Amino acid sequence: MLKVYASISLGLVLGQITSHAQGYAPAAAPARPVPAAAGMSAPVGGMFESNTFLEMASRAFDPSSDSMDFENGSFAWKGRTFNLTSQRAFRARFERFLLASPTEEEESYALLMNDVLQRLSVASDRSDDAIIETWEMLFRAARFDPDGGNSTIVANQVFNAWRIRKEMRGTALTQRELADMRRHQQTVVANRALILEKIKEQKERETVSKTSGKGGNGKKADSGALATEGAFRALELAETEAKLIAMEGQAALTGIQAKLQMQSQIVAFLVQRRYQHALLLSGFYQLLFKGSQQQLEVGKGELKSFFPNTDMVFTVDMMAFVANEAITDVNKGVDAVNTAYAEDRAIIALERLQETFFLGEYMPELNAIPVEQRRMLLDLYRDMMEAVELAEAKDYNGVAQYAERIALIAKDFPEMRVLSSVETAKSMSDMAVFAASQYRNLGDIDKARAELQQAIDIWPSNPSIREFQQETTKLATAGSQGVQIFDDLYKRGDHRGIYDRRMDLGFALAEDTERQPLLMEVIEQVSTIDLLVAQSAEALKQGDPYVAWELLAEAAKFDPDDAPMNRARAELAPRVADFVVYLDRAQRQAAEAQHAGSLAGFLAAQDIYPASRMCREGIERQSSALMAHLSTQAEAVEE
Amino acid sequence: MPPLKPAKSRRPASIWSAVSLIVSLFAVALTSGCGDNFSDLEVLPTESYMKKPSDFLGNTYTIRAQIDSQVKWEKGVGRILAVSPESGGARLPVFVPDAVGGNLHIGQRYEMRARIEAGGLIYVESLRKY
Repeated sequence: MLKVYASISLGLVLGQITSHAQGYAPAAAPARPVPAAAGMSAPVGGMFESNTFLEMASRAFDPSSDSMDFENGSFAWKGRTFNLTSQRAFRARFERFLLASPTEEEESYALLMNDVLQRLSVASDRSDDAIIETWEMLFRAARFDPDGGNSTIVANQVFNAWRIRKEMRGTALTQRELADMRRHQQTVVANRALILEKIKEQKERETVSKTSGKGGNGKKADSGALATEGAFRALELAETEAKLIAMEGQAALTGIQAKLQMQSQIVAFLVQRRYQHALLLSGFYQLLFKGSQQQLEVGKGELKSFFPNTDMVFTVDMMAFVANEAITDVNKGVDAVNTAYAEDRAIIALERLQETFFLGEYMPELNAIPVEQRRMLLDLYRDMMEAVELAEAKDYNGVAQYAERIALIAKDFPEMRVLSSVETAKSMSDMAVFAASQYRNLGDIDKARAELQQAIDIWPSNPSIREFQQETTKLATAGSQGVQIFDDLYKRGDHRGIYDRRMDLGFALAEDTERQPLLMEVIEQVSTIDLLVAQSAEALKQGDPYVAWELLAEAAKFDPDDAPMNRARAELAPRVADFVVYLDRAQRQAAEAQHAGSLAGFLAAQDIYPASRMCREGIERQSSALMAHLSTQAEAVEE
Repeated sequence: MPPLKPAKSRRPASIWSAVSLIVSLFAVALTSGCGDNFSDLEVLPTESYMKKPSDFLGNTYTIRAQIDSQVKWEKGVGRILAVSPESGGARLPVFVPDAVGGNLHIGQRYEMRARIEAGGLIYVESLRKY
């Protein structure tokens, strides 16, 4: 038995230490039967926290908005899906933003970018000089840190397109020269073929005359020379043709390459949420390429994931529209954050700020959020993240502390809901510990172990668990001395002393068939005394001292030497002195078989408290005894 | 010597007067309750009796009381009554043997002649309404 208890205590202590060290508790408790005898029980089926507290904590403390899905790494915005980084990376960038203060440099950069975008609009001056001047402004923009060098990329793309266009002009000139040459060579080849045909006809005529007796050797040599030159000219023509075709292909390829590079970069800017640069490059693209070249031919895969539910044809204009829409949304988001904050809705402000921040992380418009507001939201954000981690670690006291702290910052935080859930979880764990204690005291070790495991699962740092373990250890130590202590106390009739040590003795005598019934009897007896004393106190409170006295007198039957009971009787006696005098007299005479005197005493006591049960029973008892005595006497006289 | 005649004639008158005297005395005795003489007895000191009944063993007292309740009855033996003494104080248990009691009702008032028997028993020897 002692070994079993020791194994419970040691095993669970180790289990708990391990859980704490790893920052989590075992995921699932072993299957256990429903406790019945113990009276109290933890929630059946276990895992209370997984269904209630953690969900609640996740809802209450997660500052992320519904549009941010860190598990899938996506951020949904108006049917478009951005690739969201991990929560840790996002948290780092977000905290950096909340810690940062707007600078003059950022303001200058914002003005410059707006100026460049204004110049690229259709309504502005679109002369070559104006365009070049706008292009040069990109290099000024690139010098600002917030730009991240993206303006240089735009400038390079534009320059590359210009260079390709210039190269194409040179290629066109060469193509024209080759076409002229091809026409000349075609003429030459055609002439040579005509001459060769004529020679062939003449040769045939000479062959006919030769058969009639005439010669013709000189013409034969001319015919061979012409055939060789014709083949040579045809070869030259073929070469020229090949050069021309190759040049046309190269020119087409170069033009497409420039277009595709710019299209790719526009898509890249959009996906990276660099909306201003996407607009810049779109503006230059529309200047450089004619209207028929606006359809996007690259980045379709990226765009498909960006626009998951559409079959539309993607164009550069469409990219510009999306970029403008995002910029508008960022502005609206910033306004929403400031408004919510001004109205003491810090939780809403934080949620909206996260969305707005992710959407417009590189937008200067975010600087419209004041520095003090950022700091406060940073505190709130960090507290909520910390609370989430505490909730996951099931540190309910920590969660409650953070909930109270957050409620001071954020008026719209559901503090009561959190605290209520915390209390519920703690109660469940306490109930499981209590049930474990009950089972341990009844000697049902398996159930005690299962209940304790349940308590640890729900609340690993529950102080009651440590108390339970200490108590169990103490019981194990006291077990060996229990028999001697019980014997001594029982011999002295100190039932109260036995009752006070019932836990220790119960454990020590669990398997002692001789003493265990005696222990149970004493415990039951003293429990009854305690119950009667408590009832007596209650009756006294209700102004009924005679009922109180009778309850104490009833208790005295179990153990007249019980100290708490006698103390209560001594305190009450002066208030019921007359009644007690008659009652005592009646009982004393009853003990001496003075039935008539006893009967007189009971009747007198009943006159004082007519509802007395003791008097009623005493009268009945003594009158019966007296009558029996008289009857015996009468029979003796008759005989 | 012959018996005296006159003496014979005087005897009936004296006899009759003596008889009438005895009869009248008997009648007076009957009407005044000479056989159950309650008035000569002391009234039971209930307070002292309650404290220590054994001090009164063997004594005879008169008790004027009202029947409060019948505590016990046994045929052929008698009944134990709880009575409230006229002098006040607590109720007393009295035993009325079957031979003494007639129809006794709660609320009736009786003057009782009682003897204190063993165990402090108040044994009613006779009683009458008053």
